[in-house]
Amino acid sequence: MDAIYVENLVKKYQNGMQALNGVSLTVKEGEIFSLLGENGAGKSTLINILTTYLRPTSGTISVFGKDIHNEAAVIRSGIACVAQRTSIDTHLSLTENMMFQSKLYKIPKTEAKDRMEILISCFGLERYLKYPVSSYSGGVKRRLDIALNMMSNPKILFLDEPTVGMDVQSRMAMWEMMKKIRSDFGTTIFLTTHYLEEAESLSDTICIMKDGKEVLQGTPHTLRQYLQQNILKITFADKGAAKIGLKQIAKFFSGRKVVLHEEHLSVCCENSQVDLKQAGHLLFEQNIAFMGIEILQPSLEDVFIRLTSRGVS
Amino acid sequence: MSIFPILWRNVKWRYHNAFTIVITILQPMLWLLLYSAVAGQSMKGVGIENYTAFILPGLIVLVCFSACCSGGIMNYLMKADGSFFRVLIAPVQRSSIVIGQILEAVLCTFIEVVIMFVVSLFFSVKIASGFMGLVLIVFLIFMTAFFISGLAYAISLSLPNEVVYETVMSAIILPVFFLSTALFPVDTLTGGLKIAVNLNPFTHVINALRALILDGNIAQSDIIFVIILLAVLCCISFSWALHSLKKEMNL
Repeated sequence: MDAIYVENLVKKYQNGMQALNGVSLTVKEGEIFSLLGENGAGKSTLINILTTYLRPTSGTISVFGKDIHNEAAVIRSGIACVAQRTSIDTHLSLTENMMFQSKLYKIPKTEAKDRMEILISCFGLERYLKYPVSSYSGGVKRRLDIALNMMSNPKILFLDEPTVGMDVQSRMAMWEMMKKIRSDFGTTIFLTTHYLEEAESLSDTICIMKDGKEVLQGTPHTLRQYLQQNILKITFADKGAAKIGLKQIAKFFSGRKVVLHEEHLSVCCENSQVDLKQAGHLLFEQNIAFMGIEILQPSLEDVFIRLTSRGVS
Repeated sequence: MSIFPILWRNVKWRYHNAFTIVITILQPMLWLLLYSAVAGQSMKGVGIENYTAFILPGLIVLVCFSACCSGGIMNYLMKADGSFFRVLIAPVQRSSIVIGQILEAVLCTFIEVVIMFVVSLFFSVKIASGFMGLVLIVFLIFMTAFFISGLAYAISLSLPNEVVYETVMSAIILPVFFLSTALFPVDTLTGGLKIAVNLNPFTHVINALRALILDGNIAQSDIIFVIILLAVLCCISFSWALHSLKKEMNL
């Protein structure tokens, strides 16, 4: 069963702004699903609708087969959301925050206590127990926010830009935490992010959004293949050798885009294997010294920029 | 019932910010201690023997306003840096959220009213209507606080920030307080002012409380009228608060 199924979702705010313009996507159970998009692409609106906070204008949404329009109360008991802004009560202690969450989800006290101990240990929060929550750093608050959202053992955990503003170490730790949540608790994770490397390293599926609509959805590997335009990279010993090589290569591959970058050339491929063979043959035949020749796949960043740049549909 | 976790969370906030109790009781207490002493002398001329006992019901309503308004401020704080959003996406009935919020303000009101009563004992204030009168007083205060806190919560959900909220609440409280029988008997008024005072629902609440404290007896019809009036107002303010909360999710 799909964890989330969205078809033709439209959201028009009462002030007239249309945030979502017919989004369709599918999230499989147990996967890490990343939503990528520029600011204003509609990521947060989508997450707010999927978490039942906002009502959609039109479209079909089901979460674990339950219709969001009619069964929002049932859906709420199976999801949790770590919003962009931490939603911790600083007047409560760490354990009080976690127990408050368990009370909202009507989890029996003994079960809640056991779960709290597991989560405190799992998220490395033991040493913060004796300090007031208001004194925690942003990173620790974020960890606590995720931990307390896991108190209800949600089937789906929504994370709205969970690593924004974090330093590199904290971000890496957060990635490990997300992987752990998926492996240890079997939770489906739906996250929005700006960081392409985050989406690439964590996700089973990535969806790129633009102007309130999904542009492409697939595995990181599939998305990279989307451009279907590999690049041939020929590396020379120095700039002078690269310039000599440029003349011959540009002449041979006339009509193709050949670019000189310091000591290497890049050639847009039509058929990468054939182009590799021909370029190698030419260089040997013309006796042009080179250091190496390889086929490069486009990065996720290339795909993202291509898909989200203005004028591209 | 998810009312109690919400109530517990808010009580913990109040405990953590206990100074809000002091701040909200300060003004009514000054009225009780200073104004009653100053104005008490001249009021003896119009037949009011114990002016402290006379203004206590009005100050109870003022305490209700002060305590319940701070509940609205709490709402802004929870929205800005707290569990407001998390509660809304939890499997909690919206009505439970509103009731939990209201009950905390009611609880705070009672704490402050008890303090006011204890202090007024030193000014020879006694409840003339006995135990049954006390029960009725508690019930009327409960309903008044319930109405005002529902109103404050609804207003806090409708206005953009706490500065605007404070300004609006101040603009409501003072006219309502002065256009009532909190400080003087209605018999001394005439014309449009008398009509305005009689249209103010708090006039009737204050008169009922005053009758229970000073006279010891109250006409059954008067008390039933006040209870029905407050019940209707409670329903209106609760419905408005509930509607405003639901509107938060229907942008």
